[in-house]
Amino acid sequence: MKKVFSLLINFYQKYLSILSHGSCRYYPTCSEYSKWQFENNSFFKAIYLTITRILRCNQLFRGGLDYPKVRINHKNKKIMHKRVIIKYWFVPIGDGYFYVIKNWERNK
Amino acid sequence: MNMDNNKPTTQKRILFATLLAFAFFIAYDFLYIQPMQQQKIEAEKKAQGTEQTTATSVNVQNDAPQTQTQSATFNTAPTSNEPIIATIKTDKNVIEIDSLGRFSQVTLSQTQYVSESGKQLKLFNPSNLKPLEVRFSDRNINTEAFNTPVVADISEIDASKQSQTITLTQELTDTTLTKVITFNPNGTYEINVSTTNSKDFFITPGFRPDILADVYADHGVLLKNNDNTLTIVEDADLSSISNFVGIKIASAFDRYYATVLYNFEKSMALSLMPDNAGNPQIFINAGDDIKLYGYMGPKEYDTLKALHPELTDVIEYGWFTFIAKPMFTMLNYIYSVVGHWGWTIVIATILIKLVLYPLAHKGMVSMMKLKDLAPKIKEVQEKYKGDSQKASMHMMELYKKHGANPMGGCLPIILQIPVFFAIYRVLANAIELKGADFLWVHDLAEMDPYFILPILMGATMYLQQKITPNAIQDEMQRKIFQYLPVMFTFFFLWFPAGLTLYWFVNNVFTVTHQYYLNRTYDKAKELRKAAHEKV
Repeated sequence: MKKVFSLLINFYQKYLSILSHGSCRYYPTCSEYSKWQFENNSFFKAIYLTITRILRCNQLFRGGLDYPKVRINHKNKKIMHKRVIIKYWFVPIGDGYFYVIKNWERNK
Repeated sequence: MNMDNNKPTTQKRILFATLLAFAFFIAYDFLYIQPMQQQKIEAEKKAQGTEQTTATSVNVQNDAPQTQTQSATFNTAPTSNEPIIATIKTDKNVIEIDSLGRFSQVTLSQTQYVSESGKQLKLFNPSNLKPLEVRFSDRNINTEAFNTPVVADISEIDASKQSQTITLTQELTDTTLTKVITFNPNGTYEINVSTTNSKDFFITPGFRPDILADVYADHGVLLKNNDNTLTIVEDADLSSISNFVGIKIASAFDRYYATVLYNFEKSMALSLMPDNAGNPQIFINAGDDIKLYGYMGPKEYDTLKALHPELTDVIEYGWFTFIAKPMFTMLNYIYSVVGHWGWTIVIATILIKLVLYPLAHKGMVSMMKLKDLAPKIKEVQEKYKGDSQKASMHMMELYKKHGANPMGGCLPIILQIPVFFAIYRVLANAIELKGADFLWVHDLAEMDPYFILPILMGATMYLQQKITPNAIQDEMQRKIFQYLPVMFTFFFLWFPAGLTLYWFVNNVFTVTHQYYLNRTYDKAKELRKAAHEKV
């Protein structure tokens, strides 16, 4: 299900976003935000947060920087002792919550 | 915005998207619209043919039923034209009853319901299942019933002033079938059907009217359940017999017309049986005695509401009913004041615009600030050339610093979609808007014959882009953006004129608003300049 949504978002970004021509008030854009959510959060949370994000994306809200926030339990996670390519940075903000920031440089 | 700023791929994508869109519309035209039009022409020819045969069969009164093929569940009734034994005239229609006690044809007598050739519309296709056909559970009785003529106690009724009752009796070896039908001046009827010796039977509201069944709107069967949910079975979608209980309303409908049987006091049990093409046919399980109410005619909101508010549910707008219905209510209200559908759409557009005005105004004002920021934006663009993600991030910071955010937001754009579809569905499904003219457009539910509205729409869209400051950073996207009005004009060429009208009026108001803002901005700037020079 998450994959289906990610594919749909990719399709939208590639072919349809010309119609909405970058009208998003936020960084990352709603579609990008949603993609990060789907890749880092549970399905229902991602759906919920995407919808509220879109609802907030209008003239009544200020817009601006708005990174996805996710809750991750890093305890009991194994440490990988090999070279990894970093896709997302998790910036801690306390209470087990992290900002998700995509690493754009990873393909360079 | 695109992640990679690779220009050749962007170009390819745009090309692909455009080609895809064109391919879709061309394919749609070839595969759906043209065959549909051909079918329509053939159907008209067929209808003309049958009109002639009815005429002859009236002359030759003793025309016996011709074909009787047996099916697994029911014997198929003869579909050839049986002699007419009674004619009922009401204020809204003329109903003919044939010698098997069925409604052979219903002709709408109101002046607005005429075909293109100027004849009053006939609801049913004579080769389909006819309303009030009775089928017995017992096959032998059924076979006999299809060969035994029904006797009517009266052959000519005028129910245009007050309700009149007709009794149809069919004497069979094992049972006697009696239909007592009361016709009301408004074209509706009440029916009591019973058999002696408790022989069970089924009765049908008939196959759906066949005046306009095309791809633009659903057609088939609609059932309203006791829990107020709707079950819709579209034509060609039924593969096997399916049974339902607790049904309040059973309707067979095409785009604008329906034949409905309902009973709100005592719900019905019924079966849907597919015909050869998988189209659903309604058979209501009557036991040996049933009372029903019937309506046959246009799905007009006010007419149905006057009969029973729940009956308005037989008007359905497909997926978008939840938004199309309130849209229709609003349009209908405006129409009741204005009295003209074209202007109703214009006024509705203005009202929608007014509601969204505070939002739009705020957005435009903050977009004007963009002009002041122009040099700084250019700086950012230069600095992060080739990295649109970084560039847009720094833009956001810039906006924040200056308390301006020129973007309209995703929500307003997403909100446009349901509004747009609602109007589209209302135009496609509401019979009230059929044939509504507006200046040179003869039917708002069909395309503009001279392509004036789409071209005006494209022109205003171009104008709107010209005078609106935009913040598109990517050079390629900016170019595509400029071609959008051309693409939209093309798409709108075949859209219902009413929809194009909505979009056009919408654009006109946006442009006017923007123009006014530009003027005030320039004036304020000049004033500032003048003040500066004085000092």
